[in-house]
Amino acid sequence: MAIFECSELTKSYGRASALDHLSLTVEPGHIVGLLGPNGSGKTTLIKLANGLLTPDSGAVLVDGRAPGAETHSIVSYLPERTCIPLWMSTRKLLDFYQDFYADFRRERAEEMLTHLNIRMDQTIRQMSKGTREKVQLIMVMSRAAKLYLLDEPIGGVDPATRDYILNTIIGNYDPEAAVVISTHLIADVEQVLDEVIFINQGQVVLQSSVDQIREEKGMSVDALFREVFKC
Amino acid sequence: MLRKLIKHEFRATARVMGPLFLIILVLALTANLSLHFLLDAQGFFPNLMGGLLLFAFGIGMAALVIISVVLMVERFRANLMGDEGYVMFTLPVSGHQLVWSKIIVSTVWFIATALVEALAMLVCVFDLELLRDIFSSFFFRRALEAVKALVAEYGLNLPMMAVEVIVLALLFCTVLCLEFYAAIALGHSFANHKSAWSVLFFFAFQFVTQLASGLFVNTDYLSGLFNIGGMNSFHQLMAVLICMELISGGIFYAVTTVTLKKRLNLQ
Repeated sequence: MAIFECSELTKSYGRASALDHLSLTVEPGHIVGLLGPNGSGKTTLIKLANGLLTPDSGAVLVDGRAPGAETHSIVSYLPERTCIPLWMSTRKLLDFYQDFYADFRRERAEEMLTHLNIRMDQTIRQMSKGTREKVQLIMVMSRAAKLYLLDEPIGGVDPATRDYILNTIIGNYDPEAAVVISTHLIADVEQVLDEVIFINQGQVVLQSSVDQIREEKGMSVDALFREVFKC
Repeated sequence: MLRKLIKHEFRATARVMGPLFLIILVLALTANLSLHFLLDAQGFFPNLMGGLLLFAFGIGMAALVIISVVLMVERFRANLMGDEGYVMFTLPVSGHQLVWSKIIVSTVWFIATALVEALAMLVCVFDLELLRDIFSSFFFRRALEAVKALVAEYGLNLPMMAVEVIVLALLFCTVLCLEFYAAIALGHSFANHKSAWSVLFFFAFQFVTQLASGLFVNTDYLSGLFNIGGMNSFHQLMAVLICMELISGGIFYAVTTVTLKKRLNLQ
């Protein structure tokens, strides 16, 4: 059964259409790139999957259920911006995640935080933007979730941090889980993807495995993306 | 999960309310010292200092009530409708639990605020000659006799009346919070001008509740209450007011939770 499924999903902001009868499925055990130019509907789709927006029509299902308290317990979501409470210290943030998520692996999170020399008594407010993003990612990837929805995890960070983030994602997800990475920085994520979904103007343009693209089109995902979305 | 939400809500709010309570108690102590020493001292500067400290205490007492309500409302907006909402609305909890955690913690802080205000007043007037003078004055004795006469005449139950008034005051604060929650939830369900919509909805709610109260005051039932006389009319009036607050609170709660479920729009 698909872990994430959308059928005829439509969402508009006023007169601007964000998703237009979009349908797709994501199977467990895959790292999927949700790729598209700015404003293509990637963030809207991920927010709908988390119940942060309500669709105008169509359905979005996670593990066969509509987004809600039950699906939140199996989905680990990384928003496109830092949303963890700034007043919390690292220790309080760990307490917070441990309290609410049964699948939160505190030891693993502490290990990664120690590796980055992040103090437990340091508040999120005291951290740099890059460190905040790393801490948020560590919290998200320290869960043994069934579905990871990562919205622009490498947007706006330096190349070294990008490497750290991608290594953290690869090194911490359960191979039976699905990971959806939304981004427009294809070249950086291509190496870790099993499958890609190209999305533009709220519609799926292409859904294919990375190997299939390389074999059939004879080009990289990045090259194909540039060709498909040529301005 | 509700217990955990409440625990973290207390953690988030205590870091502001705790220091505020401490400040008001320190101000009460300085006000007491002013009344004891500075205001009776010879010289302009000590008298000025004493007056200023008393003024600061008065302002602090009023500000504490306002800040506690504003903080609880702002907490709802920032924690659920702001960036933190991305974390809160993706927790494995229901919208009802999120709203209840806010209501419960806010109400506890309102009770704590009332207790701290009472304690601050006691600290301020502790061991004052002035107070002893007032209690032993002819005016105070006559006022006390008048109250006793009223109690005997109408059979007043003062402790019960105090409990009813306190319950009504607490309900008023909680329902006011819920009114803000409903307005903020509705306002933030729009794509643009979220704050402006929130303010507009708050005033709309105020208008409707005032209109409903005004219509109720003009009914025969309420004027009939005043003809019953004695404690019964007071009890019935308080019961009616408490019921009205509960109904308003129920409506605002429903508006808030339904909006968060059906029209959540964290853009």
